[in-house]
Amino acid sequence: MKTLRQNHARQVRDGIFFLVMGGLSSSFIALIILLLIADFTFTSIAEFRTALSKPEIQAAFRLTMASCTVAAIMSVWVAVPLGYILSRYRFFGHRLIDTIVDIPIVLPPLVLGLSLLILFHQPFPFSNWIGKGFVLDEFLRETLHFPVSYSWPAVILAQFTVSCAFAVRTMRVTFDQIDSRAEDVARTLGCSRAGAFLRIALPQATRGMITAGTIAWARALGEFGPILVFAGSTRFRTEVLSTTVFLELSVGQLDAAVAVSLLMVAMAVIVLVLLRAIGAGLNG
Amino acid sequence: MSKPLLFMICSLFLVAGLMYWLFNNDRSTGRPIIQNKSQPNPTEGTKSGESEIILLCAASNQSVIEQIRKQYEEETGRRVSVQYGNSQSLLAQLEISKRGDLYLPADDSFLDNAKGKKLIEEVIPIATMPIGLVVKRGNPKSIKSLADLQRSDVRLVQADPEAAAVTKVARSILEKSGQWESIKAATRAFRSTVTEVATDVQIAAADVGIVYSPVLVPFPELAFVPIAEFESGISQVSLGIISSTKQPAAALHFARYIAASDRGLKSYQQQGFTIGAGDLWSDLPELTIYAGSMLRPAIEDSIIAFETREGVKVSRSYNGCGILVAQMKAGQIPDAYFACDTEFMSQVTDLFPEATEVSQNELVIMIPKGNPHKIASLRDLTKPGLRVGIGHEKQCAMGWITQNTFRESGLQQELMSNVTVQTPTGDMLVNQLRTGSLDAAVAYLSNAAGAVEFLDAVEIQGIPCSTATQPWSVAKNSKYPLLADRLFQRICSAESQDVFEAEGFQWQLGTKKLNLPKATATQSTNAQSTTEAAAGAKE
Repeated sequence: MKTLRQNHARQVRDGIFFLVMGGLSSSFIALIILLLIADFTFTSIAEFRTALSKPEIQAAFRLTMASCTVAAIMSVWVAVPLGYILSRYRFFGHRLIDTIVDIPIVLPPLVLGLSLLILFHQPFPFSNWIGKGFVLDEFLRETLHFPVSYSWPAVILAQFTVSCAFAVRTMRVTFDQIDSRAEDVARTLGCSRAGAFLRIALPQATRGMITAGTIAWARALGEFGPILVFAGSTRFRTEVLSTTVFLELSVGQLDAAVAVSLLMVAMAVIVLVLLRAIGAGLNG
Repeated sequence: MSKPLLFMICSLFLVAGLMYWLFNNDRSTGRPIIQNKSQPNPTEGTKSGESEIILLCAASNQSVIEQIRKQYEEETGRRVSVQYGNSQSLLAQLEISKRGDLYLPADDSFLDNAKGKKLIEEVIPIATMPIGLVVKRGNPKSIKSLADLQRSDVRLVQADPEAAAVTKVARSILEKSGQWESIKAATRAFRSTVTEVATDVQIAAADVGIVYSPVLVPFPELAFVPIAEFESGISQVSLGIISSTKQPAAALHFARYIAASDRGLKSYQQQGFTIGAGDLWSDLPELTIYAGSMLRPAIEDSIIAFETREGVKVSRSYNGCGILVAQMKAGQIPDAYFACDTEFMSQVTDLFPEATEVSQNELVIMIPKGNPHKIASLRDLTKPGLRVGIGHEKQCAMGWITQNTFRESGLQQELMSNVTVQTPTGDMLVNQLRTGSLDAAVAYLSNAAGAVEFLDAVEIQGIPCSTATQPWSVAKNSKYPLLADRLFQRICSAESQDVFEAEGFQWQLGTKKLNLPKATATQSTNAQSTTEAAAGAKE
């Protein structure tokens, strides 16, 4: 009888546990769903179609897809070695580098854009001895014929600067969670550091790499401030979907802004699902 | 090979492929520049990559500028790249990168700021925007006055007074009437832009806001409520030409298109802006200027520089002002007239309703170098046998002023008996003095300034009317009033002022005044003197 009562009490406690946990969790999920419902009710299919049929929005969609993908891949390429070094080695300046990596995360987005603009357009310190000073943008534009600022590379660079910081943080945690003993053992068996990294650490970090790529891609998609300042928002050239939303809002085109926002949500869902599927395939 | 490594190598190919596509996409979006062969291209000679105009444009002007841009590209075959953004951010970008050709902020205050930083060269007025209240269509809460904004059932939002011009203007009006603090206290929220204020009312987050009326064009569910207190609250939208532009002629070509009454301004009017008098559109406008011949050395360089920068033609006719006035009365009306003296401006008040006094020029006695006839004053010109040259009183302002001066001196008859020649311009007198056919001449100091190696000038003392004042005016029926105004700005530049002074003029720029006929002007001056005298007597 006592055991029965105890079981009952435990069931009640479990119920409360699930109620609290589920309640708190569902509040966030409900918020997101309500936001989407609010967006859907504000616009209509016709508005959505009208917005998506605009050539400038189609161009922004293509540029967004391409730039986010490039920025995310570049982020993973940089994040894997940097995350590995920060995780495995302790050296002079380790803490400083660890902090520097976080700067793009904590910096206000507009400040980041402004900093990029200053970096590319102001003469480098101590470069006055070569005449008017070395200006990076002038060098790239006039010598290499590869304009960066106010052009599509500026979009990718602005996205990469922020995305990469998130990717590095993810890879660092990934490598922290992988036991380094397997690599040490491999090295005692004659494997080089590169071999241990490529054959032991990297295969175990696959899930982390997918996560880093996903986070980087998502972050690049939402990037807005640095792009607006560093790349500008020129239709058919540097306009991405996040700046489209800003431009449509600026002229009071709420329907178009909401339609583009929903398009971004759809893109994000599809790409995230796809990346997770790829991740599952690699793991398998 | 491990799967992740394979994955990363594949990703490299993907990046390379995407970069290649972006390169080609960037090139293909570069619509070709179709040169209009029938009309010369001001940017001819520049690299094709530089001939694209970059306009930094406030996002609030996006819909109207997109419309104008498409029309311009179709009509002229030139290409414009518009970068939209927040006016302040665009200004910050411009300050750092110095990149761009034109800057169109949401209102004039940003241009003032940019001019202060020497980022803007010319400013072209486009349109104005009245200030008022925004409410839901039908005005469900019956908001009709400032007092209604303070009602407890009314939710008021405003744009940030530090960032948005609409609230800056509203604040300055309300501060004067002592109502700002109460309106500020009644404001539920300050938004960053005026469009956000309209959006708040649209989505029912607020009941009323303070906005510019053109902002409401995309919001059919909202209504504009004008209120008496804001009648004086009008903001100007203007276009600035960026100082660092490498293609001013091409930039000004597009700027003229935007400000053309039969092109860009039409679109502005459709979008609810109030437009002023713009120029008529012409791919290569030709401005006609009439100017007194004495002004030629002072303004010629400025006009040439203006032609080069604007990519336009300026046809100028320098002559005695009497002759110019006769031409105008015969029907040849220039776009602008720069007279040698106000007398000759007041004869064409019907054509030039307003005028601005620019400079002064003093009448002097010109004598050959070394003063062989020992001439020190007007009285010395009465010496028997002396050959004196003066301007023709009907043909030029100089002659008319000379006659006035002679009359004031009380020696008119004696002096005229020695006058052997009367010319329509001072330059002719200079030439005759140099050839030795005259012993002395009465002309402007500026005429003497051009021949200092051969001539000396003797000041005429004690006669105030011996000084001529040069006014500038734009014809009321000019096809290009804005272009003429810009030429005037060029003439008023610091560089040009130095030239005026070097040519013997005194720079005395006044404000634009009504150009009254001489009789009316005299009556008005007399009436003013009488009133002042009466006021003085009362005191």
